[in-house]
Amino acid sequence: MRKSLCSMLVAAMALSLGAQTPATVKIGWFGPETGDSALWGQAELNTVKMMANDYNAKGGITVGGKKVKVEIVAYDDKGDSVEAVNVVKRLISQDKVVAIVGAQGSGEAIPVAPIVNDAKIPLVASTATNPKVTVSDSGAVNSYVFRACFTDPYQGKVAAYFASQKLGKKKAAILMTIDDPYSTGLSQYFKENFEKAGGKVVSEVSYTSGEKDFRAPLTKIKAANPDVVFIPAYYNDVALASKQARDLGIKQLLLGGDGWPSDNLISLAGKSLEGCLFINHLDMDGAAAKPMRDEYKAKYNKNAELNSYMVHDALLMVVDAIQRAGTVNSVAIQKALTTCNLQGITGHIKIGANHDPVGKEAWLIKIVGPDMKFQEKFATAN
Amino acid sequence: MDQFLQQLVNGLSIGSIYALMAVGYSLVYSIMNFSNFAHGSVIMLGAYFGFYSLTALGVPFSAAFGIAIFGTAAIAVIIERLAYKPLRDRRAPFLYFIITAMGASIFIDNSVIATIGPTPKTFPPDLLPAFLQGAPLEWGALSVGRIDLTIFVVAAICLAVLMVFIDFTKLGKAIQATAYNMKASALMGINPDFVIILVFAIGGGLAGVAGVLYGMKYQVFPQMSAITLKSFIAAVFGGLGSLPGALLGSLLLALIETFVSGYLSTQYRDLFAFIILIAMLVVRPSGIMGKDAEDKA
Repeated sequence: MRKSLCSMLVAAMALSLGAQTPATVKIGWFGPETGDSALWGQAELNTVKMMANDYNAKGGITVGGKKVKVEIVAYDDKGDSVEAVNVVKRLISQDKVVAIVGAQGSGEAIPVAPIVNDAKIPLVASTATNPKVTVSDSGAVNSYVFRACFTDPYQGKVAAYFASQKLGKKKAAILMTIDDPYSTGLSQYFKENFEKAGGKVVSEVSYTSGEKDFRAPLTKIKAANPDVVFIPAYYNDVALASKQARDLGIKQLLLGGDGWPSDNLISLAGKSLEGCLFINHLDMDGAAAKPMRDEYKAKYNKNAELNSYMVHDALLMVVDAIQRAGTVNSVAIQKALTTCNLQGITGHIKIGANHDPVGKEAWLIKIVGPDMKFQEKFATAN
Repeated sequence: MDQFLQQLVNGLSIGSIYALMAVGYSLVYSIMNFSNFAHGSVIMLGAYFGFYSLTALGVPFSAAFGIAIFGTAAIAVIIERLAYKPLRDRRAPFLYFIITAMGASIFIDNSVIATIGPTPKTFPPDLLPAFLQGAPLEWGALSVGRIDLTIFVVAAICLAVLMVFIDFTKLGKAIQATAYNMKASALMGINPDFVIILVFAIGGGLAGVAGVLYGMKYQVFPQMSAITLKSFIAAVFGGLGSLPGALLGSLLLALIETFVSGYLSTQYRDLFAFIILIAMLVVRPSGIMGKDAEDKA
């Protein structure tokens, strides 16, 4: 009797779920398809489309025992925070997506966070590394925002540790993008940790985004005569800055963060970055990345970018959460995301109390000729 | 002192690029009395012409430079014929010219974004002349990039040739006369249509030079035209319509920018540059070398 009641209940639940589970589940993506960081936005969009195709080729993903197709709804935010807010509102109210991936830049992810919180639609950011993406100014965790990447404090710590302990550098200079929270945040964490390790930041100069000429601030760096120059910026600015630095006779080692890795970096920078080092989220030439690297290359005849791997893991987290939740209800997906614990391409992702992955490894990469060669990896406490 | 000299060199190298761009704005303004905002897009096209001639067609650098100059001269004239001439024929108010120019600019920029894509490109160093490939030139603590030095020299030559042409040739006199009074010079037998085409061709050709040089110094990308707005400001600063004014305005603006960002902070750069610009225009509404006060649009 008891058993049959149970099975009836299960059947009733399955029926009601079945009624709620549509044939397709809509997942939103937004990022820059045009503008300065278009290369990365396009790489992300290509990847999520490729993954959706792969899921659907197998009949879809399993939600509560039923196969559901994945539909990606994508919008261009032009790398602009106002545009990002607009397209996220559209994803939520017009397209009624159950979850969102993307938000590669912290500058876009931070203003979007309160919107997804209010609408109760989970967002998994791919490469937004600023701490304020998941934890708001007041110190409260943004309950609906998660990320697949490690954070800037972590990255800054690794870069500072590496510069001072491993390379034995005493004096560092920093060139940052003053109006980009990613760049200013990373600079601050680098500085704190570098000075804690006994080093000194002898020059801290900046430029505004969109600027193409960095000679004036770089001349200040040259006059300060540092041992190493930390450039927490995106690849395009890095390429311009490194060329101009070499033109000004700055011969020191340049060090960077995860804004550097790009297929275009070395072709834009020429020889100016030879021997320089940066922190990355994975070894893009390594074994873990190979299946996706090959599939991406075969499909798009282009090399996968860092953002391809990061958004891959972000979407993986969403799909995993939907499957574990057994429903396409956004609130249930959020719950499942808080217990996310999976192996992605970019390492093991275990979501911690702040909605950031805990203990994710940072990889040190060196630029050698036309290649980006993996050196070593670190994992410290967050 | 070393730092001061280096910043001076930095400023001059930016200023020479501004000057090449600014004379294009000034030339057209002197004849047509409106700001040709499509000029920035023509500069951007010049950079792409040069880049693709070099990389896709595989022609030598000098030929690529030539293709860029003639290509942009042709484009500038085509824009004049297609977009501005119909307005002139209908004696449209100047505001319509400006709006049309902005429209042409947006059209060109977005055509490039749609067809070529927004990703920045860089001139492959091994395809540039041998002189440009070496290490920077150093005098003591002063270091000057080879491309920067080349740009300064090329810009100086172009502007000198242009000024000689305007002041000492018959065609140059025709341009001056038309700029002074189009109706009266037409009565004297100067065909205004011809002068206008000539001015657009010269401005366009200089846009080609500026585009290729800018692309070599920085990168080639569709949003370049927005950056050329700085050179428009320099032209206003120096006195729209005056060529020496455009040159002076460009160098001054670049030096102010460089010294403010070098000695104060980059955040203050545009603030100071524009305060000085506004103060200048309050004291002398026609710019440093502008001849008479008219509305600058």
